[in-house]
Amino acid sequence: MLNAQRRRRSPLSSLANPKYIMVYATIGIFLLIYLAGAAAYGSKGFRSVRTFMLMFIDNAYIGISAVGMTMVLITGGIDLSVGAVASLTGMIIAYGNSVLGVHPLMCIAIALVVGVGLGLTMGAMIQYLNVPPFIATLAGMFLARGVTSLISRESISISNSMIDAWAGWKKYFVKLQDGEWVKIKPVAYINLNVVLFLVMIVLGALILQRTRFGRNVYAIGGSEQSAKLMGLPVARTKILVYGFNGLCSVLAGLAYALYVKSGWNLALQGAELDVISAAVIGGVLLTGGAGYMIGTLFGVMLKATIPALITFNGSLSSWWGKIATGALLLIFIGLQRIVVVSTERRSKQGGK
Amino acid sequence: MEPDVILSMRGIEIQFPGVKALDKVDFTLRRGEVHALLGENGAGKSTLIKCLTGVHHMDAGEILLDGAEIRPTTPQHAMEMGISTVFQEINLCPNLTVAENIFVGRQPMRYGQINWKEINRRASELLERFSIQIDVTRPLSYYSTAIQQMVSIARAVDVRAKLLILDEPTSSLDDNEVKRLFKVMRDLRAQGLGIIFITHFLDQVFKISDRITVLRNGRMIGEFDVRQISKLDLVSRMIGKDMNEIFNLKRAEQKRGASVAMSAEHIGIPGKVEDNSFEIKEGELLGFAGLLGSGRTETAEILFGVTKPAHGTVKVKGETVRFNAPLDAINRKLAFCPEDRKKDGVIADLTIRENIALAVQAKRGYLKPLSRKEMDSLADKYIKLLSIATPDADKRVGELSGGNQQKVILARWMATEPDILILDEPTRGIDVGAKAEIQRLMLEMCGGGMAVIFISSELDEIIRCSNRILIMRDGVKAGELPGENCTQPDIMRIIAGEAVESA
Repeated sequence: MLNAQRRRRSPLSSLANPKYIMVYATIGIFLLIYLAGAAAYGSKGFRSVRTFMLMFIDNAYIGISAVGMTMVLITGGIDLSVGAVASLTGMIIAYGNSVLGVHPLMCIAIALVVGVGLGLTMGAMIQYLNVPPFIATLAGMFLARGVTSLISRESISISNSMIDAWAGWKKYFVKLQDGEWVKIKPVAYINLNVVLFLVMIVLGALILQRTRFGRNVYAIGGSEQSAKLMGLPVARTKILVYGFNGLCSVLAGLAYALYVKSGWNLALQGAELDVISAAVIGGVLLTGGAGYMIGTLFGVMLKATIPALITFNGSLSSWWGKIATGALLLIFIGLQRIVVVSTERRSKQGGK
Repeated sequence: MEPDVILSMRGIEIQFPGVKALDKVDFTLRRGEVHALLGENGAGKSTLIKCLTGVHHMDAGEILLDGAEIRPTTPQHAMEMGISTVFQEINLCPNLTVAENIFVGRQPMRYGQINWKEINRRASELLERFSIQIDVTRPLSYYSTAIQQMVSIARAVDVRAKLLILDEPTSSLDDNEVKRLFKVMRDLRAQGLGIIFITHFLDQVFKISDRITVLRNGRMIGEFDVRQISKLDLVSRMIGKDMNEIFNLKRAEQKRGASVAMSAEHIGIPGKVEDNSFEIKEGELLGFAGLLGSGRTETAEILFGVTKPAHGTVKVKGETVRFNAPLDAINRKLAFCPEDRKKDGVIADLTIRENIALAVQAKRGYLKPLSRKEMDSLADKYIKLLSIATPDADKRVGELSGGNQQKVILARWMATEPDILILDEPTRGIDVGAKAEIQRLMLEMCGGGMAVIFISSELDEIIRCSNRILIMRDGVKAGELPGENCTQPDIMRIIAGEAVESA
């Protein structure tokens, strides 16, 4: 009967909503691995705030890019150009400032125009020319990588007082001791990249959950045809999503430039796959329509924990990191299928 | 103009390449009425609706909405003017919650943010008006098709619709769900909404509609008051032929001493089919009646080698056979048209020619491809024989109407010249004229000596065509009746038998 599924809503039951399963899985596995690491290498300092924050600092650029990627994946698309665009951004800043003497802010502005412009162009190709996202963004990737190499094929270091100040900005963790604020030991801090990462995650979450634009993103991922028939602005939304992802790529490139303080045409090769896998491990459905920024945050953290564990172990080859990432991806894609299939089955049985 | 008219379409003409899709069609919808739009597939119903919702643009004619002339350009534009459509396929997003599906694109905002509380509250209220009480914060895919259908109607109505178009809304609903939908339709009608109702089910038309407009071949045949027209009359007008002439089908004559074409002895699969035994003679039409899920399809699949029986034997012409795959069955001159023609039957992207040649090719093996000439002659022969409505054999099957798709499948199997043909719901979802034609073809094939197993949920057609009727219930053969002098209540009593006892 139609009323059989009635339930009273309570805060608790809304958290038990099946749509959050993937996020719970990510958080659960993250906690499991982190706690296992803490138990095994706790004495070596794995449990310290410093280690935890370093994982953030070392992966902030991946995380920033993953914010945009999450949105693209939710529409059911994909963007392979993010690594190349980020690398191009670094090159524009490095070459512009170190070789041409352009002010870094100007360089960043140029990179933003180029990155967002490329994103919007790819979005328009996907929408109006019906080019599969994979192909359109593959072209974008080669284009951006090619232009980067055209600018310079050497690694150019960045030395600019503003960039140095940004890269050197640190906020230390402190505690109250004998009425005085002192740095905790071992020393732990966050830098600009971490702040940018967290700001982008919050911004992304707000866009996805609290704006019509964000909800249209989900609707398109659920069924583009339906979204069209419901009168939603499908074309505009899709193009803007790729534009936003371009923005995220540029910011990721900026973060990476601050992190390594150089621009190089071969930097960040394959980073797009790290970004995609972080989002997928975070529970974003590759077929679109499902995913949360909080999941992506934990996806990035989960991916960061593994190399940290390998470093702490000391005897493992770093390639185990790749193997572990591969295994995690398989687990999560398998989980996603199970969730999707079981909801399909349930809705079918519900019909009887 | 009458004051209570919401919509009036006058002299609508639409020209498609090569055909006049609509030719001077008039249509009037009044406030607070359910107006059925009827016609065979291809009569122009969808074209008219698409013209009204801005998908197609008319070449001539005018549309007046509340007395003002309108020209809808896109579905969105039409929606903004108060024309809402609910399609046969549910056009909602399965991943969004029920509440969000109703409000997406027009969410109430608060402090520049979406007000989720308001969305959920208003969605609950809205559905409550339809007497549906569900947790609106669950994803849409969590609920049954019926509820999804109601949600899409709720959305359509809530966008301040003046008129609601329901395009085949009942085709995936069961009886109870249809009743509930009708209640909602009556409520909406009482609120003064105009509803255009498109369906294949004539019973439903008579149950809910106030007036009927009939289209045929792009022309308007007439507008009728539902109380002043009989079902038979209506059907004749829809197909343009006299009903009696069409349904004047003769059961295949049972030849005395015909040999047994196929028999099943105690076949079964635990949980699906239990211990089913029957036989079918050459030139006989054996009807399989029973509810959906009673084991009819499963039995047919055993016969054709799709699934292997856990026990029991199947005999073809007295010889015990064990089919490992459908190809074995095809080689023993069996043919099977499955139930879901979209999923298991036609390959929509291939041409008619390729679809027809498929089974013959499979039978010959892939090392001996049919030549283009052979394929052509095969296709032409069956297009003519089954009068498939198409300009040529190169048309993609996906572009044909349901009835013609069904004929293509039939042609595919007839081309293998089978001795035994199993048809699973061959007439579902196709219009009256095509139905009658499929039935006629079946009987002709029986007349030619073929043994036909005919599975159908519609008792009247089973009774009309079958020599014998096998009735299934919960995977068990519940009874067998001769086709002659058998009535619907006879069969229903057997179908219901145990349910009544256990109740």
